[in-house]
Amino acid sequence: MLNIKNLHVAVGGEEIIKGLDLEVGPGELHAVMGPNGSGKSTLGYALAGRDGYEVTEGSVQFDGANLLDLEVEERATAGLFLALQYPVEIPGVNNAYFLRAALNAQRKARGEEEVDSMGFLKTVREHLKALKMDEALLKRAVNEGFSGGEKKRNEIVQMAVLQPKLAILDETDSGLDIDALKLVAEGVNRLRDENRSFIVITHYQRLLEYLVPDRVHVLSDGRIAESGDRSLAHRLEREGYAFLDTAEA
Amino acid sequence: MSALIEKLLPEADVSDDGSFGALRRKAQKVLMQHGFPQRKTENWKYLPLALLEKRTFSTAGPVAGSVPAPPEFPFETGIVHMHNGLVDPQKCRLPRGVAISGMLPSDIDTSKLDDASPADAFAWLNLARFDQGWKLRVEGRVEQPLAVVTSCDDDFESAIHPRLKVELAEGSALTLLEVQHAEAAGLINGVMDLELAPKSSLVHVIDRSFGETALIQRTTARVSDAAEYRAFVLDGGGRLTRQDLVAELDAAGANASISGVAALGDRSLVDYHTAIEHLLGRTSSQENFRILADDQAVGVFNGRIHIVPGADDSHSEMNTGNLLLSENARINTKPELEIHAEDVTASHGATIGQLDDDARFYLRSRGLTDGQAIALLKYGFAAAVFDGMDAGALKEWMLERLEACL
Repeated sequence: MLNIKNLHVAVGGEEIIKGLDLEVGPGELHAVMGPNGSGKSTLGYALAGRDGYEVTEGSVQFDGANLLDLEVEERATAGLFLALQYPVEIPGVNNAYFLRAALNAQRKARGEEEVDSMGFLKTVREHLKALKMDEALLKRAVNEGFSGGEKKRNEIVQMAVLQPKLAILDETDSGLDIDALKLVAEGVNRLRDENRSFIVITHYQRLLEYLVPDRVHVLSDGRIAESGDRSLAHRLEREGYAFLDTAEA
Repeated sequence: MSALIEKLLPEADVSDDGSFGALRRKAQKVLMQHGFPQRKTENWKYLPLALLEKRTFSTAGPVAGSVPAPPEFPFETGIVHMHNGLVDPQKCRLPRGVAISGMLPSDIDTSKLDDASPADAFAWLNLARFDQGWKLRVEGRVEQPLAVVTSCDDDFESAIHPRLKVELAEGSALTLLEVQHAEAAGLINGVMDLELAPKSSLVHVIDRSFGETALIQRTTARVSDAAEYRAFVLDGGGRLTRQDLVAELDAAGANASISGVAALGDRSLVDYHTAIEHLLGRTSSQENFRILADDQAVGVFNGRIHIVPGADDSHSEMNTGNLLLSENARINTKPELEIHAEDVTASHGATIGQLDDDARFYLRSRGLTDGQAIALLKYGFAAAVFDGMDAGALKEWMLERLEACL
């Protein structure tokens, strides 16, 4: 599904990702953990193609295509989804209109038929209900006036509607209370199948109790310093990242 | 600006035809004394009237000819069609409750015009070249909107000076839809007076866009006791557009709101000067005006709020937001508050910015192309101004027009 080799990414001329290798197979969920400033969000933005995140070296194959050759929207159409750590407010654009426009833009680019309004609304309502979100949010401007938790849950609604092949969740658990965390995790689990993959960037082991990762990676200073199964997350919870210094020394 | 005087006010042309002669003579005298605004005239400093000096206007005035059909609307509406500056009252389609008649000298109030400076020169010019004016009288609550449509022939290069007065009787209500589109290098120098009697309500919707046609328009709404004036403006640009929009709140309980969007591109030059005059206490106003300027367009917004001494317990909110969409576009925006009363609230805010890169990335990351993302952001920025319009066919039409302008 995703094969990253020797990835180097610079932001404002400063190298943040310094030779990262990562392979995510179909249906796998990988957790990426690591201390602040280790490059976790940079990885997400670089994969999504954000301006200012310059890939200076390395390659990224995604579902058979060279991801780095694609524009931001082409990556989305190819099936990549990034749930932002800080979802952006779009004043004046209502949620339902935006979501349908996004879905139809992707479908059109893939040569598929656009969805009709009624069918679309029915699907969105089901996702909203599952995430215990008020239907009235559909008529409100995208993320405007949403609480922190609502914004994060709205990202999951978008993911559920757009049905990506690979979803990168950038600290989607931060700022959520325990109930909201469970709802988000359930939303992710509902989408898990043998083909859809996830990269879950998080600071806390707590989310991984609900999501159960196939692999856990520790990012440090722009590289993967350690990989393991879910027990690695437990170890980090107990010991923190101090062992990285020992390992590097 | 003597060149402009010669072009727009040929000496021999100000005749005394009886009833309007005195008004015309006075207007001509003021104009000859003070001329047209210049760069140093504060309220006109961003509008290069030199553009008009370069043009040759036919001085023949309105020319009758074949009149095209007015535009169609996706809702039932009355129509007053002014083509090449002329209205044929026989062809007006008036909703029940609205009557049209020719304007009389007594319908024209010059008491608020400045005769000691060039500030109101174009309003005086309108009088000096007065040819045809119409009055609409509104009784009762008129359900159907009334569209006042302005159009010109494709080769129309005259200067015309239309004048319209709308009188709303006590307790009456009307939705007035002004639709103005013209392309040729003429000048429309219009004056509109709106008189709102106690407890009346006027929703004033303006949809305009021009090619080379210059528009200089002065609109004054006098809002009485417990009456309400709500303006919604959509300006799609033009080579030279100047709108002075004045709301005078002259009795307790009077309210005015102005919501406007100017979506400008190419070499558009659009200047909105609004003034809300709180002349008595317990009056209120709200204003929200947004300019989007692309290409080499220039947008000007000057929003004046004036609360006179003694107009206590008046409340006013003003917000102007602006988007610069190209390096060569310019926006000059100024909230201007002059408060002389106690116990009032008067808030204001002004922003000028560019499209938000974070928002653009966010939309693209969901599959929208950059072009779609930009269009959606512009639409979202502008459409919010019309949130206050009552839901229905007119609002939907206005939002479609906005989308077309962007």
